[in-house]
Amino acid sequence: MLNLVVPLIAGILLGYFLRNKKRFDLGKITFGVIIALIFSLGFSIGSNDELLGSLLTVGLNAVVILFFALLFSVVFVEAARRAVRME
Amino acid sequence: MIKYILAALICGVASGYFNNNFGSLIANSWISDYLFDFSLILLLFVMGFAFGVNREAVAKMRKAGLRILVFPFCVALGSILGGLVSGFMLGIDVFASMAVSAGLGWYTLAGPLVGQLFGAEFGALGFIVNFLRELLTITTISLTVRVDWYVPIVFGGATTMDTTLPVIARYCGSEALITAFASGFVLSLIAPFTITTIATLR
Repeated sequence: MLNLVVPLIAGILLGYFLRNKKRFDLGKITFGVIIALIFSLGFSIGSNDELLGSLLTVGLNAVVILFFALLFSVVFVEAARRAVRME
Repeated sequence: MIKYILAALICGVASGYFNNNFGSLIANSWISDYLFDFSLILLLFVMGFAFGVNREAVAKMRKAGLRILVFPFCVALGSILGGLVSGFMLGIDVFASMAVSAGLGWYTLAGPLVGQLFGAEFGALGFIVNFLRELLTITTISLTVRVDWYVPIVFGGATTMDTTLPVIARYCGSEALITAFASGFVLSLIAPFTITTIATLR
């Protein structure tokens, strides 16, 4: 866990202190990193034969999880809006 | 952006499959461990950097006040509870399903991160759930906005500060823009922490 939280916090702090320097083109870096990351995620999925076999179940599970996540989110927000009388 | 990501995913799956089944050119761990870990750490660093550098985002949130936090807090709580309930229903690891739904639509993060913490199977689940969340937000927005103006922002989760912000601004009106942005901002900020925290609780 720590090896993931440390770079995140380090990035926030460094960005905060460098905010007055010249602009950074983060879009291109992020794009490159995301492509590399998604490629390697795909690679670990593709090289795992058991996982490929269970992909149909994974898809079904995904739909169920997404349904409940969205349902409870809407219910909670609606309840909170009534509680604090947000517009 | 989505088409490049899909292409990268498909190329990755195909090369992983061929490398595994038709003579290994390289060891699997080179890509699935080293490249994966390196780019995940770099992504978290760059995302953190982008938050730190963005003075507008912080100023907008300050202006809206504490009340705006109610919105993302409920979205996060509702999503995680949804993950818990569906995890029980499906009979899978409930911590993994909570971590998956705590991705809040940010599939480029949730897929790899959940994959590292819970294994590749849940990584794939994390990717699909959150990818569908973003896709559903965009495709159903003309219907969900009729239920109430805030429903698309709830659906969008962490994506409402960038990818789904243009559609939300168009359908929900410009007043919803600040709420959407702030909600997406807060959710993007807490998503990596929530996912790792859930993994620690297991």
